[in-house]
Amino acid sequence: VSTQSTGYKVGFWATCCNSLHILSPFTVMARRYDSRTTIFSPEGRLHQVEYAMEAISHAGAAIGILTNEGIVLAAEKMITSKLLEQGTSSEKMYKLDNHVACAVAGITADANILINYARLATQRFLFSYQFPMPVEQLVQQVCDLKQGYTQYGGQRPFGVSFLYAGWDKHDGFQLYQSDPSGNYGGWKATAIGKNNSNAQSILKQDFKEDMTLKDAQQLAVKVLSKVMESTTLSSEKLEFGVLTRQNNKTVFRSLTKKELDELIKSTTIENTDAK
Amino acid sequence: GINAEYGVSQDCLWFLQLSFSHSLPSSKSANMSIMSYNGSAVLAMTGKNCIAIASDTRFGIQHQTLAANFPKVFQMSDKIFLGLTGLFTDIQTFHEKLVFRLNLYKLREERDMKPSVFASLVSTLLYEKRFGPYFVEPIIAGLEGPENKPYICSTDLIGAPLLTSDFVVGGTADEALLGMCESLYKPDMDPETLFETISQCLLASVDRDAFSGWGAVVHIITPEGVSSRKLKVRQD
Repeated sequence: VSTQSTGYKVGFWATCCNSLHILSPFTVMARRYDSRTTIFSPEGRLHQVEYAMEAISHAGAAIGILTNEGIVLAAEKMITSKLLEQGTSSEKMYKLDNHVACAVAGITADANILINYARLATQRFLFSYQFPMPVEQLVQQVCDLKQGYTQYGGQRPFGVSFLYAGWDKHDGFQLYQSDPSGNYGGWKATAIGKNNSNAQSILKQDFKEDMTLKDAQQLAVKVLSKVMESTTLSSEKLEFGVLTRQNNKTVFRSLTKKELDELIKSTTIENTDAK
Repeated sequence: GINAEYGVSQDCLWFLQLSFSHSLPSSKSANMSIMSYNGSAVLAMTGKNCIAIASDTRFGIQHQTLAANFPKVFQMSDKIFLGLTGLFTDIQTFHEKLVFRLNLYKLREERDMKPSVFASLVSTLLYEKRFGPYFVEPIIAGLEGPENKPYICSTDLIGAPLLTSDFVVGGTADEALLGMCESLYKPDMDPETLFETISQCLLASVDRDAFSGWGAVVHIITPEGVSSRKLKVRQD
């Protein structure tokens, strides 16, 4: 191991390759720029941020679909062991306030920190202004926090992507996605986590502007079934959350096992009929 | 010296009183206490598997009445009601603080807070301001646990709890309320009887108090739900 003039330790082979001016995987991957999150690589990339996104691409998939009637959030539960006590609390979906909820993909421990932060943000806003926090503002607050970890401090970024589903008076139903860089975007339908590019392309084909909530739920089942690892789709492996407006109140509800079973059954029947 | 009732320095209270009376065009009265600057009356009673909580609805500043639609009872959750007496600005702010904390609890725990836990939270939040308190004296009423056991509690302005099984009172009419409740209260009343009793207690007491009245609202909470009624009272 040698220490070059930049002050970073580089591996033995990298040093050899560098001095011999030969290309190797070690020089090309530019590992010396990995150790600090808060600096650019010569190619203009932030490697730690990209590595964080790589971590997320190994996590369970989550999908969001926006309709006029409400928003569907669907997620794949990664059940690592039969011995795990699966209580009522979820690992993928969280309420951030009465009118906003989110789905998570990535490192759960990192997600918990951000979710707590988001919940405090919604309550702080409500306390100060006495009306529910607009969804986009909440997304911006969380994203600004995430961005800080790419520019200051030298700490690694959060390895989490979120799908935020919410309703507010000004913009109605909204679906947002955020990633470790602190970037966010508003979407009609999107996917994060494992195989998200596959899921995204299926969504692009099959999403229609005026879908009903029921159609969206079935589409979500269809997409998840194609994207999940296991061949058989069952309600134990899925988590569905639906955000709707009822009686002038926004409601976020998780589907029960029974409702999920029925949904899966009706979707597969329709698929076989279509075939 | 330290004011015996509130444990805050005499100077602190005196200064506040002075600043309030200066802000009025007519510096008629030197009000005796900051807790009677606005005036209020709240009481809560337990019955058989139910509780009742009631308040007047006057909003006034010293002798002047500004509105008759300001109730001092807030529904914090399905089974918890909070009544707040004292200085109105602190009633509003303290209520908003409690909403903040209650919402966070509900988001993190994914269940409602129990009334006894809520009372502890109230007490803690008040004591945090021990040497510069919120001028409120809260009354907590609710149904506790899966058996929906009636729960009432009140605290002073720095959080000392008073846990009783029959009734709690607060506000500028508190002594009159205590007397009325002591006479009219019987344990294990059913919701309708409880409504009658609490209404009579409230009305008779606020009619003897210049700073409260101008309308009244009563909430009866049973495991099945809440029924709220406005009372017809003397508008003076």
